[in-house]
Formats: sequence, structure tokens, C-alpha cells
Amino acid sequence: MNKKKWKDFFLFALFVFPAVAFVLFATDVPFMMNLYYSVFDWNGIGKSMTFVGLGNFVKIFTNDTLFWKGVKFTLKFAVFYVIIVNIISLVVALIMSKERKSSSIGRAFYYVPYIISLTAISLIWKFIFGAGFEALYNITGWEFFNWSWVGTPKLAFWVVVIMAVWQNVGFYMVNYIAGIIAVPKDLIEAAKIDGANNFQVFLKITVPMIMPAVSICMLTALTFAFKLFDIIMVFTKGGPANSTVSVAYNIYKEAFVNNKYGLATAKSLVFVFFVLIVTAIQLKVTKSREVEA
Amino acid sequence: MKQLRKINLLAVIVFVCSIFWLMPLILIFINSFKPYNDMLQHFLALPKSWSLDMYIETWTKFGFPMLIKNTLLYTVVTVLAIALLAPMAAYKLARTKTKFSILCFGIIIMPMMVPFQSYMITLTRLVANLNMIGTRRGLILVNIGLCMPLAVYMIHGFVKNVPIELEECARIDGASPLRIYFNIVLPLLKPILTTVVVLDTLATWNDIITNQLIVGGNAKAMNIQNALYMQFSAQTADWEHALPGIVMSMIPSLVFFVAMQKHIVGGVTAGAVKG
Repeated sequence: MNKKKWKDFFLFALFVFPAVAFVLFATDVPFMMNLYYSVFDWNGIGKSMTFVGLGNFVKIFTNDTLFWKGVKFTLKFAVFYVIIVNIISLVVALIMSKERKSSSIGRAFYYVPYIISLTAISLIWKFIFGAGFEALYNITGWEFFNWSWVGTPKLAFWVVVIMAVWQNVGFYMVNYIAGIIAVPKDLIEAAKIDGANNFQVFLKITVPMIMPAVSICMLTALTFAFKLFDIIMVFTKGGPANSTVSVAYNIYKEAFVNNKYGLATAKSLVFVFFVLIVTAIQLKVTKSREVEA
Repeated sequence: MKQLRKINLLAVIVFVCSIFWLMPLILIFINSFKPYNDMLQHFLALPKSWSLDMYIETWTKFGFPMLIKNTLLYTVVTVLAIALLAPMAAYKLARTKTKFSILCFGIIIMPMMVPFQSYMITLTRLVANLNMIGTRRGLILVNIGLCMPLAVYMIHGFVKNVPIELEECARIDGASPLRIYFNIVLPLLKPILTTVVVLDTLATWNDIITNQLIVGGNAKAMNIQNALYMQFSAQTADWEHALPGIVMSMIPSLVFFVAMQKHIVGGVTAGAVKG
């Protein structure tokens, strides 16, 4: 019996431990390291680490205007991103959900920005907003193209929103299409026989039936917005004048630019706490949908 | 007749909107064949000649053969490791019902709850402590670890629906556990494994953030995305070389997308909604 137990454990270890080891190394252990470093004042390079207890956390909540500026930016971004990306992708999905050749090609077109790298996306928009707009201004003479889009804080916010929306619409569109296709055809036919027009069918049947997809897309968009980092790091670098510093980018900068390593890890923990709340809601909603389906 | 016209009109609207959405890509493509002055003066026009000179110059000047070699290496090794290890772990975890097994599963899927941005700083520190910053093996180890959670999670969900009877028959017939796994279970996992492989191929090929953090400025180990980013994201960009570079870096992803469209679209929906 004992020998069999050992054999079973050996097999389990052989199958599972390599995967566990990789995940521990790349994610779990680094995450736990946050807990350790967050109670020290440390520049990330030198040998001297001063224990400050909860000092870093106190500093975040009482004396860190840039961090809270980042929170404000992230929340503002979240509001506009969630609304705009969901409206556009829902409209596109409604048009593209009909089974026809043009719509399957159309879907692919909207999906392309989602599968190209962020480097390409950021360079493409850099080119469009820079040389491209300069050229368009020469052609049209519209003042709109002459604005300094990347150089003005107010406009840079919209540059970030435009890039994020352009990149991700395809993803939400696919989710909405899946929801729309799942609406039972006989339900729609029955309503039409009863004399409902297309608009009534949409409002009274399609909309209630795709509500689960809507809530999931909204929450996915919200978590994406809270975690906004890649576009900022690759494109605006938080500029101009720190106007596009998101929470995650503020943490990154604190560690690698300002060399305040302990403070940065403490911020990471605060950041995780807020994201976890949203994720928990998201999981609950996804779960409840699974039970229904 | 009226019906037909209505449908055609809708199709035209769909087409026009889609083209408009891809306008940035189209503009990049047509301008990549122009000298800088033409970009500014004839931004919307087709290039005067479709000469590949700038493409060839960019290819050699920025060391594309080396970059492509690096990117391919990272992608292939990461994806192979995932394809070997993730299904093994997922299968065993789904079939073992002990507290320890649940703990291991928890350790593997924990990162799906926690944003990457919250531990990327400490991850970089850990890799630095192991003296692997700027190295190929450091990046590969990190990539495998980062791709693993979602892969195991997706396959785990799939294994639960694979009937256990087949394995029991084989066990009674005297097949060893390893044989059962490789000859019976693994072939059944092919659909979900394809999805995982396709998603991780795209993710590794397109990766810029991890490459920035782990490889940084080490020119020898950069992937194509990181190198383009380092070369061209400066204030005054050299668009004559940047645009052909962007186009060349996108071609593999686009070809891959066209070939694997079904798996990519289905897989992304299945994977991302959960996490």
C-alpha cells in the first residue's frame, strides 16, 4: 500500500511539478516578494534597506499626489473606454452578425488590430498623429489636423482612448456576435408572425437575450481599463506633463525611473486590492451566467 | 427587388466601415513605399513606384535576420514547453482529487486573478537576482511561466469532459500511466491544445512588455517588436525605415491570423472571458 502511495505521488510530481515550478518562478514568487519589499525603504540597487513598517502605505494615502493623479486618470479612462468600446463593438456586432460573406470578411477586418503587436500599433498611430496629420492639414487646411494631439494633455487623453478602442473593438465584437447568434431563431420568428417589426424584435428580444454578453464585456473592459499599462509604456510614456500616467505606469515609473523600490511594491499591493474587487465581481457574473446556460 | 437592394446597401455600408477601420494600416502600407517628402505631400495617394529598395535596406540595416531568428526561437521554445507541460499538469490535476492537487491547481491559476502589472517589478528583480537579465534563457523561462496559467486552466476545463472509462479500460489491459497519457488522453486533447498553441504563438510573437523588462537593451537577445520599438519610438522617427519595418513585423502575425482565424477568434473568446 505504502509503495503504491509513493508511486502515485511520484507520478503526480512528474506530471504537475514542472508546470508548478514555472508558474511559481514567473508569477507567484514575484507576487509574494511584493509583501516583503513593501515594508522597506530601498532604492532597488544599493545594499542599505531601511525597515519602515507601514510607512510606504501611509505615504501613498497621505502624500503622493502623482499616484492619485494616476488614479484619477485611470478612472476617467475607464469611464470613456468602457462606454465607447462597448457601443462601437455592439453596433458592429449587430451589423456583422448576419451570416453573409461580406460580414465574415468585415469581422476579420475589425479583428486585425487585436492580433498585431503593440509596437506596430503605437508606431502606426505615432505616424498618423504626426506626419499623417501634418499631411492632412496641408491637404484640407482643417485646424483639427493642426492641433498638437500628442503634445497637449487634454488631447493626449483622447489619443490613448482612440488607440485602446481601435485595438480592442474586435475582441468585444466577437463576444457580442457569439451572444447575438445564440438568440433562438424561433423566438424571433414567433414575434414576427405576431406582427412585431425589426425594431421591436431588437428591443424586446435581442436586447434582453444578450444582456449576459453585455455585462461580461463591460466588466472585461473595466478590468482592462484598470490595468492600462502597455499602451502608456509604449506610446505616451505618461506624458505630456504626467497627464497620461495610469496607476500601473505610475508604479512602473516609481520602481525603474525614481528608484523607489519599496514604495513601488507597496503601491502594487494597493493596486492589486482594487483590481481584485473588480475581478471578483466579474467572476461572480460569469459564474451566474454559466449556471443559467 | 426592394429587399435585394436593401441588403446590398447594408453590405456596402459594412464594407466601407471596415475599410475605414483598417485605414491606419492601409495608410502605413502605401506610405511605406514612399520617400519622406512624398509622405507629407501625397499622403493619401498610391506610391509612384512599388520599389522594395527601402524594405531591403531596412532588412539589412536593422539586422532583421537576427531579430526574426530570436523571435522564432522564443516563440517555438515557449510554445513547445507549454504544449508538453500544460496538458500533463492539467490532466493530472483534473484526475487527482486530493487537497494537495487542489493546492497545486490554485498555485497555477492564481496569476489569472492578479494583474501582471502588480508583480512585473519584483519579477524583474527576481530575474536580476538570478543573473538572467538580458539573456535569452531568462526571457524563455519567464515566458513559459506567464503562458502556463491560462493554458492549464483551459485544458483543465476540457479534461473534465473527457470520459474516464477509456483510461480505465487501458489500465485494466495493463498499460502504464505514461502510455495511457501519451497514447490515449493526449490525442483526445487535440482541439483545446490547438487553441492554446495558437494563442500562445501570437502572444509570444507579439510580446513587447516582457521583452522590454527582461531583455531590455541587449541588442543580441531582442525580439523583433522590442528592436523596432527601441529604434523608432524616439522623438524624431526615421519613417522611411520605420514603415517598412512595421509592415515586415506584422506580416507573420497577419498570415498566421488568416490561416488560423477560426482558432484565434474562438480561443480568445473562450479564454479571455474567464480571466
